[in-house]
Amino acid sequence: MRIGTLKLSYAADEALFDTKVQWICLALLGLSLILFPFVAGPYWIYMACLVAINVASATGLNILTGYTGLVSLGQAAFMGVGAYTVAVLETRVGTPFIINLLAAGGMTAAVGVVFGIPSLRVKGLYLAIATIAASMILHFVFSHWDLTGGTRGLSMPPASLFGLALDQPHKLYWLIIPVTALMVLGAANLFRTRIGRAFIAIRDRDISAEVLGIPLLQTKLTSFALSSFYAGVAGGMWAYFFRVVTPESFPLINSIFYLAAIIVGGMGTILGGILGATFMTLVPEVLKLVVGWLTPWVPDALSLLAPIRTIVFGALIVGFLIFEPQGLAEIWQRIRRFFHLWPFRT
Amino acid sequence: MAGLALGAVEARAQAQDEIVLGGSIPLTGVFAFAGVGIHAGIQDYLKLVNDEGGIKGRKIRYVAEDTGYKVDASVAAFNKITSQNKVTLYYGDSTGFAKTINPELERKGTMIMAGASFASELNDPKKFPLQFLPGPDYTEMFGILMRYIAKEKPGASVAFVYSDTEFGRDPIAPSEKLATELGLKVAEKIVTPPGSVDVSTEVLKLRRARPDYTIFHGYVLAPIPEFIQQAKQMGMQSRFMGTFWSMDNSMVQQMGEAADGFMGVMPYRYYYDKEGTSPMLDKIRQMRPEYQSTAYMQGFLTAMLMTEAVKRTLDAGKELTGTNMKASLNTIKDFDTGGIVGVPVSIPGNSLPVGRIYRFDAKQKQMLPASDWIQLGK
Amino acid sequence: MDWLYIFEVSLAGLGAGALYALTGVAFVLIYKATRVVNLAIGEILMLGGYVFFGLVAGAGLSVWAAIPLTILAGAGLGAVVERALIRPMLGESPISVFMVTIGLGSILAGLVELGWGADPLRLPEFIPNTPIFLGEAYVAPKVAYGALVAALLIAGALAALRFSRGGVALRATARDQGAAYSMGIDVGRVFSLSWMAACATAAGAGVIVGAIGGISPTMGIFGLSVLVVVIVGGLDSVAGALVGGLLIGLVEALAGSFLGGEYKLLATFSLLILILMIRPYGIFGTHEIERL
Repeated sequence: MRIGTLKLSYAADEALFDTKVQWICLALLGLSLILFPFVAGPYWIYMACLVAINVASATGLNILTGYTGLVSLGQAAFMGVGAYTVAVLETRVGTPFIINLLAAGGMTAAVGVVFGIPSLRVKGLYLAIATIAASMILHFVFSHWDLTGGTRGLSMPPASLFGLALDQPHKLYWLIIPVTALMVLGAANLFRTRIGRAFIAIRDRDISAEVLGIPLLQTKLTSFALSSFYAGVAGGMWAYFFRVVTPESFPLINSIFYLAAIIVGGMGTILGGILGATFMTLVPEVLKLVVGWLTPWVPDALSLLAPIRTIVFGALIVGFLIFEPQGLAEIWQRIRRFFHLWPFRT
Repeated sequence: MAGLALGAVEARAQAQDEIVLGGSIPLTGVFAFAGVGIHAGIQDYLKLVNDEGGIKGRKIRYVAEDTGYKVDASVAAFNKITSQNKVTLYYGDSTGFAKTINPELERKGTMIMAGASFASELNDPKKFPLQFLPGPDYTEMFGILMRYIAKEKPGASVAFVYSDTEFGRDPIAPSEKLATELGLKVAEKIVTPPGSVDVSTEVLKLRRARPDYTIFHGYVLAPIPEFIQQAKQMGMQSRFMGTFWSMDNSMVQQMGEAADGFMGVMPYRYYYDKEGTSPMLDKIRQMRPEYQSTAYMQGFLTAMLMTEAVKRTLDAGKELTGTNMKASLNTIKDFDTGGIVGVPVSIPGNSLPVGRIYRFDAKQKQMLPASDWIQLGK
Repeated sequence: MDWLYIFEVSLAGLGAGALYALTGVAFVLIYKATRVVNLAIGEILMLGGYVFFGLVAGAGLSVWAAIPLTILAGAGLGAVVERALIRPMLGESPISVFMVTIGLGSILAGLVELGWGADPLRLPEFIPNTPIFLGEAYVAPKVAYGALVAALLIAGALAALRFSRGGVALRATARDQGAAYSMGIDVGRVFSLSWMAACATAAGAGVIVGAIGGISPTMGIFGLSVLVVVIVGGLDSVAGALVGGLLIGLVEALAGSFLGGEYKLLATFSLLILILMIRPYGIFGTHEIERL
């Protein structure tokens, strides 16, 4: 039951987390994230890291697609730029990982701006297709440039912190989770600033936004840069996680995956990016588990797994778009509303 | 979840001394045709071993997960399997996986690994000390093919047709060098984009080069048949050759008319090969009356070599660590594989550099030997 | 300069381009009538190839019976998809509908893999195999006959669009839905018809593409090249699809033979970016003016 919240100042009204309950929930979440690696097995820590990387990337895409309304099918390729930047810096220069990650973000932001330039002329679907072209071109560069190791790609040493090699999921966890948390928090705050609101104005109606005095091209490119920065850092973490980067690591289907993640999660909400990426990363694992249970009865169940995974992936996209266009975030809101109004509304 | 974990603990407690062979197997996806064969091959060989009481009384248990031939799924499977079992042997499904997991493999130091990849890069005992290839690497396959060509037709011109992937590009640069050493001329190198089906422009290019031999690499089936068919229509006299993964008999049969005279290198004997004595092939034919693919043979032989390494390590009274097992594996010299490979094999480094040229016979619809066994480095 | 070689390569490119054009026409039909960018066109094409394979190799039908059945199956699929997935999305943002078709593509690819496995398969040979020479220049017979059939089908589609009742209704709907509706055209049926016609065309194209290069669950990638074709030609222009198809086929062939196979996709997608920068609505596309 939530009757109402008293606010005594504008600052309180504008706060990101406005009630004590929210702070408590947040603290509990933080605590459970800290405790998680001590109770979970290596497999689940591995999954947690993978989920976090995907959350970071999906949140980036959400800035561009969910908040600014520019559809991109190049997120995976942009992650590739980040991953290669980290791999090159780590193997050739040997700078510390924090700098590498930032450089990955910066590099990818620059590349993102270059490929965002077509947004000057085209939007909507045309832009989505331009980003497909961008990922094809980037893929070509990855597989034919000496610096990126050609089709063989690059292998790299683990990140190290004070001489301690972060070479395993349960160590990398302490790098990946905080960085992702920071990025998500940054994104949430972004939309309380002028620039974030400008993104939303452009999404809702770009011509109106221009009339209001928002410089369209500049703002769109900023959105591209920010989103690519997220992709780059996520790609950098990916590189530290797998420690081998090849051109085939970032296919177009992964870009579709991130877009699907924010659709399923809910476009234009931070929570949506988190829920969607988590959900879409875990669904294949759950399917695997289910198929594992079925194996005693259906002997070749395992061989059906991949096509079923593909079908479920497509069905989730279609199903959410038709039946729940606001995504998981909306379902979550509905559940919350139910409890807020609980004894009164029956 | 808790119940499941409990079950796993019990299972482990039951069999303290069993040996686990883990596997990231591509049972689905683009490489499924191979994965299914490998899966069956490993299972069958382990069944033979376990039916005879295992290795020194220790049974081998096979734990596999499907990967769909995706590196991240393979790594996930590896983490899952190694965290729930004490794994001694591992089968990986791709070059990417072999490279990704290598540091982890060295860090753990408790297992040796082989896989479906014959990448030349992996054939380096210094960089990949705990892995091995159950056959010649791709460069060695080219070496075997070109040694055959140089013998058949000294000074012949060859063309390489390969896909624009890591798999396709793998042997090209060193093979070009080898060609000149053998006195062959590389007339043309043609790259095809991955997944391309229409090859008419590439065939036109090949026709201009007029090679005596054309070697395809980096494909399974498409677009090889189309390539050969069009080339034959244009009156080209070239002989066409393939490497391991396009050499399976049922695959070649699918090529239709183009299959006639198709040649290639194969380190194992085919399922139907009845020449000489081959106890293992007899057993396979007994267990499975229908044709088994070359991928099956690959899985079977991999399991055999791994088991042999474990056996030799235990015989020497050593602990089952990765280094010890790899050292034992390297002691394999003139080892009789029971007919899976036609000659006794040795593993001096990371690979098994042996193979034979086969040619497809349209009448019998079978790949038949066209040369003797060719051993590199001998 | 080896002119014969260039001529041969160009012919091969145009042959491949004819197939792009055919699939492009299917794409444009849907876009014209329903304003849906159908990214699943590659997968529908793939399904056509598999249905044909199933009918011939599985059900043992003769090739000439299987082809019309495949095309019928394509039409049926189009009707179902339009009714079940596209109609409910009417009025949603184009991006959402676009994503629905991506999802559809994924579902179709999965279904095909479930039914026939992931291995590449070869269609039975039914295209005449005697080599064709135009003067000195060699043309691969499959490509030549494929292009010929594609040209006939395109001509048929154009004629239908121009002269048949349904074609006129489709053009009227594309021009102005409201006006068409008030003139007594059943707009809903036009939507249905356009999807049926387009999917039937794509399924037919799938048989030809499959006959040339074999079929596999990943052959939907063909749809990406078609996407480039229609963007270059203009999303709502049949003529654009024709010109775009031939142009992309030619560019791919020339880039493939003079730069190397790895440059094919790079060349077409660079062309795509270029076109988007200078003529965002394609060579023949209609420039839509936005109003507030």
